[in-house]
Amino acid sequence: MLTPFEKFVFFILALISAGFTLHGFVTIIRTIRLGRPAPPLKNLPQAFWKAAVTVLLQRTILRTRKLLSVIHMALFFGLITYAFVNLMDVLEGIVPGFDLVYSGKHVPGAPLALVRAYNLISDVMSGFLLFAITVFLVRRFILKDKALTYRENVLLYPKVKAGGPHKDSLIVGVFVIMHVSAHLMSQAFRLAEGPDPWMPLASFLNSISGASQIGVHIAWWVSIGWVMFIIPYLTRSKHSHFFMAPVNLALAKQNPRGQLDPAIPLKVIDGKTFEPGARVITDLAWKRILDAYACVQCNRCQDVCPANFYGRPLSPSAYEVNKRYLLKEATFGGHPELLQAPLVEKVISPEAVWSCTTCYACVRICPVGNEPMADIVDIRRRLILEGFELDSGVQSALQSLATNGNWMGKGRRLRGRWAKELEFPIKNAAEEAVEYLWFVGDTASFDERVLPNTRMVARIFHQAGLDFGILYQQESNAGNDVRRVGEEGLFEQLVEQNLAAFGRAQFQRIVTTDPHSFNTLRNEYPQYGGKLEVEHYTMVLLRLLEEGRLTVKQRLSHYLVTYHDPCYLGRYNGVFAAPRKLLERIGVEFHEMPRNCENSFCCGAGGGQIWMGKVPPGERPAENRIREALATLQSYAGNGKKQLFIVACPKDMIMYSDAVKTTGSEGKIEVRDIIQLVAEAVGVVEPVSEAGA
Amino acid sequence: MSGDVMVITEHMEGKFSDVSFELVGKARELAEAFGGESIALVLGEGVDASVFASHATLHMADAALNHFNPEAYARVIEALVKERSPRLVMFGWTVIGMDLAAWLSGRMGVPCVAYAKDVRVENGALVVSSQAYGGKLIAEVSPEGEMAIVACLAGSFPAEAGHGSTQATVIPSPVDLGGLKMKFLEVIKPEAGDVDITTQTRLVAVGRGIGGKENIELAEELAEKLGAVVCASRPVVDAGWLPRTRQVGKSGLKVKPKLYFMLGISGAPEHLEGMKDAELIIAINTDKKAPIFNVAHYGAVADLFEVTEAMLELL
Amino acid sequence: MHIVVAIKHIPSIADELPVRHNNIDFDSVDFVLNEWDEHSIEQAVLIKEAVGGTVTVIGVDVIGELDNALHLALAKGADRAVKIAAEEPGADSHQQAKWLAEAIQNMSPDLILSGVQASNDLDGQLGPLIAAYLDLPYIGGTSAIEVTNGKAMVLKEFPGGIGMRYEIALPFVAGVQAAPKPPRYAPVSKVRQIAQTAKVETIEPGEGESGGLRFLKMAPPVVTGHAEMIQGTAKEIAARIVELLKSRGLL
Repeated sequence: MLTPFEKFVFFILALISAGFTLHGFVTIIRTIRLGRPAPPLKNLPQAFWKAAVTVLLQRTILRTRKLLSVIHMALFFGLITYAFVNLMDVLEGIVPGFDLVYSGKHVPGAPLALVRAYNLISDVMSGFLLFAITVFLVRRFILKDKALTYRENVLLYPKVKAGGPHKDSLIVGVFVIMHVSAHLMSQAFRLAEGPDPWMPLASFLNSISGASQIGVHIAWWVSIGWVMFIIPYLTRSKHSHFFMAPVNLALAKQNPRGQLDPAIPLKVIDGKTFEPGARVITDLAWKRILDAYACVQCNRCQDVCPANFYGRPLSPSAYEVNKRYLLKEATFGGHPELLQAPLVEKVISPEAVWSCTTCYACVRICPVGNEPMADIVDIRRRLILEGFELDSGVQSALQSLATNGNWMGKGRRLRGRWAKELEFPIKNAAEEAVEYLWFVGDTASFDERVLPNTRMVARIFHQAGLDFGILYQQESNAGNDVRRVGEEGLFEQLVEQNLAAFGRAQFQRIVTTDPHSFNTLRNEYPQYGGKLEVEHYTMVLLRLLEEGRLTVKQRLSHYLVTYHDPCYLGRYNGVFAAPRKLLERIGVEFHEMPRNCENSFCCGAGGGQIWMGKVPPGERPAENRIREALATLQSYAGNGKKQLFIVACPKDMIMYSDAVKTTGSEGKIEVRDIIQLVAEAVGVVEPVSEAGA
Repeated sequence: MSGDVMVITEHMEGKFSDVSFELVGKARELAEAFGGESIALVLGEGVDASVFASHATLHMADAALNHFNPEAYARVIEALVKERSPRLVMFGWTVIGMDLAAWLSGRMGVPCVAYAKDVRVENGALVVSSQAYGGKLIAEVSPEGEMAIVACLAGSFPAEAGHGSTQATVIPSPVDLGGLKMKFLEVIKPEAGDVDITTQTRLVAVGRGIGGKENIELAEELAEKLGAVVCASRPVVDAGWLPRTRQVGKSGLKVKPKLYFMLGISGAPEHLEGMKDAELIIAINTDKKAPIFNVAHYGAVADLFEVTEAMLELL
Repeated sequence: MHIVVAIKHIPSIADELPVRHNNIDFDSVDFVLNEWDEHSIEQAVLIKEAVGGTVTVIGVDVIGELDNALHLALAKGADRAVKIAAEEPGADSHQQAKWLAEAIQNMSPDLILSGVQASNDLDGQLGPLIAAYLDLPYIGGTSAIEVTNGKAMVLKEFPGGIGMRYEIALPFVAGVQAAPKPPRYAPVSKVRQIAQTAKVETIEPGEGESGGLRFLKMAPPVVTGHAEMIQGTAKEIAARIVELLKSRGLL
């Protein structure tokens, strides 16, 4: 269809476009390779296949913002269709006689049915695309959706603050409108013989514009011209996610969620030595740099971040966006020295780094497989190593952990004291062989608010005839939060201490009441040589009920309850069923909160937050959660049932009991550990002397 | 070796500290048991030295001693003690005494007992009761030899017994006070404009349990309703939640109000030293084993925020 | 500029203290670094960072476990670690100070720092005793020490937020109450690295000399009184307190 001159111009422009595109991709790949080695990946072909299916089914996007996600599907399938459409258009342009069917004109050799189908699909998809892009542009520029903005106190890279993401979206938005419209017009102009039922939109436009050969040429150039501009532009835009997102999903972390990547890469290339953690962007693993190129800047991670909710200056999305713009300025912008700029000056503030609760919500929600939390832990590791001034509460917690094996400043010898005050003895696993080693954890061993629950667990185990013991003073903090605060050295010390204690003891499996301990014992201790079978007590309690070693004497249907999935039990380790089955057996009236299972909302204690000396003002995540529970149960209340907020983690017990008080909800809802329900259901009571203390 | 008991008094801005009188009062008793005299030593000008109930008062009215200079005081005391060989030298275990007592002990080669709460003579021997290990234990020790140094915690003895009118004898400094290494430069006063908690009749004291700067406001509301002022234990001041002028305790200020209402303070000896003579002490703490409950007149094991808010509603 | 920091390994008061034969049962207690020594180490390192020089940390190894504290000091910026191998858990301040003074004398220090106090200072603190044995002046309760041109500017803390500033010619001994900045955190990985590579020098103790105190008794304080406890909910407690205040004419 094109004249020879046009074809010539087209080839030149196509070459230029291809050249810039290639340059763009080469730059991206080279930059990614500047990062550190990441843990090795296996079965890549299978991983890529799974990623392709995930992307096609838009699974990761549909996790949240359902309406926008559906509209995104229109955009997604529309653009995939248009890849083929553009190919067809180019062929029509440069191959003489290659014309698809318009207005019933039949080209010999072209299978009519296929061509008609193609015309219909591309026509309808054009409509979807225009609709979808209009919705998104309206959302961003007219409705000014707050979800696409960042709070004042979040550090933004200068270009980001100046509106970079908005400009980027505008350019691509305009592209889609112009390109799709131009293509549609081009189709409209071809309909020399009137409307074609297989091209409804184009026919409609044709009724206004009429047919025109010149029009076809102009429209073609506008349409394809925009494509030749936009493809290289994509490599410099967040829309690189077209290519980078599926790759990022394919190359996603293969080790368990609860297993942090090592502080120093295990695979050392060319004898390079590494300092733990990250100070500049190239200290991050290459996968983390890829994250920046995959990031869609959608801010879904910001939505679910409890620290961000609390008004802290942390925004996981701002962090990834800042990273991207820094990389852009460093590479395409010609400022390579920026690659050596400290991360805590350019892309994330130190206060933001220390605000993270390590709940994993940002990683779980990200549609393109990013892991902002992993970056934050790496930055923390280096800050600690380089003597950055720590929060005084964190420092005393770490010092106490190093000396006493617990973060509360209590003498080591006091650890098993609670057990000695029970009405029956608890075995010392270091002296007698036991079947279950109960790893109690700091909070459950020392905190006055949690000790009644700890004692209750002991009584229930005892009643069920479970053969269990504890390590008494030989148990040290498992180290989960120490590692997530960035103190690798102390973490290793605690692991060594615990593994040595395990070595001196005789047991077959470990049960723990603390999800944080559960996480690290199960997922990280094996890397240090521990071959451990670790269960959370809800799993053990369920088994005891199923085996008949405990029987429900009284179903507690007079309770109206909801259950909070602890981050380290649920989202990290997928243990959702056991506590729920337990509640089912106990017979309470149970209703799920909107944010349940993987979508659970963190209480805010993790990542060292519970150690911090300062308590920032504002509505705390735990308070928000209590309000969510109250709202959930309200619709079922009114039958006089007592409302309960059930937890399965000692830190949750503390945070939520506090939140009930500070939200003024005392009397409306009560926080209880699941063990208290089990105790009531199977008929184990506290001795009278303790009840009043 | 005489049976004399020498007391090293302390003064600031023309006033002697209470502990000086407490020591002089006790010294008199001990000197009588040893068959000697109690001697009060006053160093520096700017103070009326004839206010003690000692047998004798020596006043070294040298301008170089007007402000506490650890080296000058230490050398002067060393020389004087060598000259007079008292049986016992008494210091307050204060910011001043802690610089001098042990140094003198090392120079003279005689024993020193710190943190003393009681000193007595039993069968001619000196017996000292001291708080040891942060107050967790009480140690009873007897210093060997013919001379001893004892440094007593403020508030151990009645101050009234030390007030008197013994005429002071002015003596020259036995040591050349020029050419010392330490030179006093200036006193640094805290920012003006803050209240003097030592003159308040009612105080609301907050400890670590208050949790943070933003919660101090709650305590201030309560204080206002009670006609009181907010003060604090050392950790609160160290954390920067209140200025040092509000610190009560051993290294803070001593207060004796009619009401001392304590929120979240455990009752460590250092804090007690600053307030144990308050007329009515009420303590709120979540730890039923907190030592403060052994000292307070009334106590409750409760959350300080809940009680404070409940009180605000009632007042 | 050579600064020597004298540290003390003391029984931990975090737990209960068992008593035996009129003194602490030293075999049954854990020993920890005196918390004020963290401040004196920090102060020394700050001075070194400001004007250059070396920091030597020295302590008496009373139960053979001082290495950890010495490694910690090295990780925080000290250059040299020395321990006096005199395993005597009951060694009092006089004894330790005598050993330390002898060792320190050979080091020609410009400044000697120690923690202003320790919980086992019944017979006095290390700082003034070391100063006495070396015939040097002593100043305690410091909250800031700066060194310029062979002289030090020292801020000494008094109660009520008052401070006194002194100019002091080197050498002298200071008992540090607090460093101008809180003690820095030494990452465990650094401490462990140092534990593997660093050399701790060992010195044999010279003549010791105890503080001359005969221990007659050591026991927990007799609790003479107890507060009258108010029971009930927060509201009930508050009501009772208000009633009490009214009855005393305080409201």
